Amino acid sequence: MSDEDKVKATPGRKKRRDTMRRAALVTQVDEGPEPGALREGRRRVLVAGAHRLVAVHLIEQLLADPNVEAVLAVTRGSCPPSLLGADPERFHFVSADLSKRRQVDNLFLLDRFRDKPFDTVVHLAFQGDPTGYTQRNHEFNVNSTKHMLEASLRHLVGKYIFLSSDAVYRIGARGDYKVREDAELNLDPTVHPILRDTIDAEFICRAKMDDLETEVMVLRPSGVFGGGVVSGINLLFESNPPMLPVGFDPMINPTTKEHLSRDLLLALNLHGKGVYNVAGRTVGPLSKFLEERGIVARRVPGPALKMLNRAQRLLGKTRYHAGFNPRRLYYSLVLDDARFEKIFRTHASRVAIVSENAP
Amino acid sequence: MLGRKRNKKYARPLLPAREWARVESYMVDDAGFGTDRFGTDADMLGMGYALGYWLHRHFFRVVSTGHDHVPKKGGGVVVGNHSGVLPFDAMMIATDVFRHTDPPRLMRYMVDYFVYRVPFLGVFFRSMGQMPGTRANFDGLIEEGHLIGIFPEGAEALGKTADKAYELYPFSPGHVELAARHGVPVIPFGLVGAEEQITMVANFEPLARLLRVPYFPITPTFPWLGPMGLLPKPVRYFITYGEPIHVDPAALTSMEAREREVARVRDAVLELLDEGQRTRKRYAEGKDE
Repeated sequence: MSDEDKVKATPGRKKRRDTMRRAALVTQVDEGPEPGALREGRRRVLVAGAHRLVAVHLIEQLLADPNVEAVLAVTRGSCPPSLLGADPERFHFVSADLSKRRQVDNLFLLDRFRDKPFDTVVHLAFQGDPTGYTQRNHEFNVNSTKHMLEASLRHLVGKYIFLSSDAVYRIGARGDYKVREDAELNLDPTVHPILRDTIDAEFICRAKMDDLETEVMVLRPSGVFGGGVVSGINLLFESNPPMLPVGFDPMINPTTKEHLSRDLLLALNLHGKGVYNVAGRTVGPLSKFLEERGIVARRVPGPALKMLNRAQRLLGKTRYHAGFNPRRLYYSLVLDDARFEKIFRTHASRVAIVSENAP
Repeated sequence: MLGRKRNKKYARPLLPAREWARVESYMVDDAGFGTDRFGTDADMLGMGYALGYWLHRHFFRVVSTGHDHVPKKGGGVVVGNHSGVLPFDAMMIATDVFRHTDPPRLMRYMVDYFVYRVPFLGVFFRSMGQMPGTRANFDGLIEEGHLIGIFPEGAEALGKTADKAYELYPFSPGHVELAARHGVPVIPFGLVGAEEQITMVANFEPLARLLRVPYFPITPTFPWLGPMGLLPKPVRYFITYGEPIHVDPAALTSMEAREREVARVRDAVLELLDEGQRTRKRYAEGKDE
C-alpha cells in the first residue's frame, strides 16, 4: 500500500490534522502548552531499540507506572529476556527492521494501537558499534530515525524523543568548562561514520521541531555507566585494563542508565521540545571516576594508543574503540544540562512514578 | 582523601604555618571528587601555592604595592603586561594576590589553547584553576564571582625580544567587552622585572609554526643548553596594582567607545609600568646606600 493509499484510508485523521494546522497558521497565537507542564491522559508508548539496556530499564519503569496504558517494544532481534514476563495486557513486543519504511508504518497500524494510537515514541534504536560499520548500518541509523519521525508526525503522536549522544560535540584544547546545547558540533568530514549518522539523525529531528502537534525532542546524554551498557565510557571502564594517554585527564560528568531512564521518563511525561543535554551531577577528572571504582588504568603514549587499543580488541580485552572519538580521552567534555534541569527535573514531582522513586 | 594526604605530605613543609592556614582556608566548591566544576583541584592548589610562594618569597623576591585595589569579593578582570619567555609573571601575580587578599582569592587566567595540547601541562593548569580563554569560560567564572586574569597582549608578548623590553603590544579588546557585559571592574597592574629574567635574542618563527607554539625563543643559553637554558635569572619583580577602572557600557555597542576604553586600560598599565620602574630605581638606590 502506498503512502497515498494510507492517507486515503484514514481521511478523518488527515482532515483533523489539516484543520489543526490551518487554524494554528491563521491565528499564529497557539504557542503550545507550557514547557514542563504534565501531559494529559494516559501514556501509550512505542520504544524503538528495545534491546538496549537503557530501553529495558525504561520499559520496566514505564510498566511500573499505572499512568502508562500500553508499551510497544520494537527491536530487530528477539524480546529481551527480562521483559518476557511482563503483563501482556500492557506490554507488547514486535520484531521489525526500522530501516524499512513499510515495517515502521505497520507498527502504527497494529490492531492493538489502531483505535488508540501511540502518544509517545521513544527512539533509542541506533547502531553504535564502531567495528564492522557498513552502508547497512548507515541506512539503519539514518533511515530508521527518518521513518519513525515521519510516521510519528503522520499519526499525530504527541511526543517524539530521539536519544542522541554527547559525541556530536566538537571537543579540543579550546574547550568550554561546560558545554551547552548551542555549542559547536563536530562536522569534520573525517570523523567516524557513526558520528556523522548521529548528527544526520539529529538534523532530521531538528528540521521537524516546529511541528504543531508533535513535540520533537533530542536528548544528548553524557557517557552512560551501567553493567553491560554499550557506551564509550562504559566500554572503556570495562576494559582490562583501560588504556589512557599519558599526561591527559579530561573532566567528565557521566550519567548512569538509571538516571538516564529517569530523565527519559520525565521527558515523555512532561511537555517540552528541542535539544537538551542530560548528564550526571558529579563532575570530575576521568581518573577519579576510575579510582572510585577501584579500576587501575594503564597510561600509554598518546600516539601509540590507537594501535594498542586495536591489539587489546583483537585479544578480547576490550570493546572500547579508541578511534571512534579519539579526542575524548584527551580533552574535557562536561555537559551543561541546566535547561533540562529547569524544564524537566524541577517538575519531577508532577510525574507520579518519578516522584515515588525519588532519592 | 588520598589527595589531601599527599598535599599535606609534600606541600605542608614548604609553607610557613600562616601561609598553610591560607591554603586550608581556601574553599574549593567540590563538584564530586575534590575538584570544582572548572577542574580546580584542592590538592594541586596547595602544592602549586607552595611552589609559587617559594618563588615569590625567595627567588623573585617580589615587591608589590596597591593590593587594596584588588576587590575582596565579587568578579573582576585583572589586566597587565606580559613578558619573560616563560609565564612566571602570571604565576607571581596569582601568588601575590593569593598572599595579600583575605580571605585568599585565586586568580583564574584565560590561558592560550596550546597549553592544553601539551601532556601534563594542560592538566596542571586546569588543576590550578586556569582555563582556556573562551567566552563561555570567562562568563562562567565571572558569574561565580571569580577574579580573572587576562593578558590582552596575548601569549606572543611572552616572546618579546630584548630590544622591545617594556613596550606593550597592542591590546585585544576582549577584556573590556567582557568587563562591560558583566559590569565588573578592570584592575590594571604593571609588572617590572620579568623582562630581564630571560634575555630573548630572537624568535625562530618557522620552528614555532611547526611546533604550533606562539614563539620559539633563541637566548644566549637556549636551545644550546637544552631545557636548562630556559631557567630564569633571579631578578626582583615589582608589581603595582592600579585603581579599578569601571568600563563604559557603551563599549558593547560602539567601536569608538570600545577603543577608547581599551586605550584607557592600556594607558593605565603603561603608567603602572613607569611607576614600577621608578620603584625599582628607588629600591636599587636605597639598597646601594
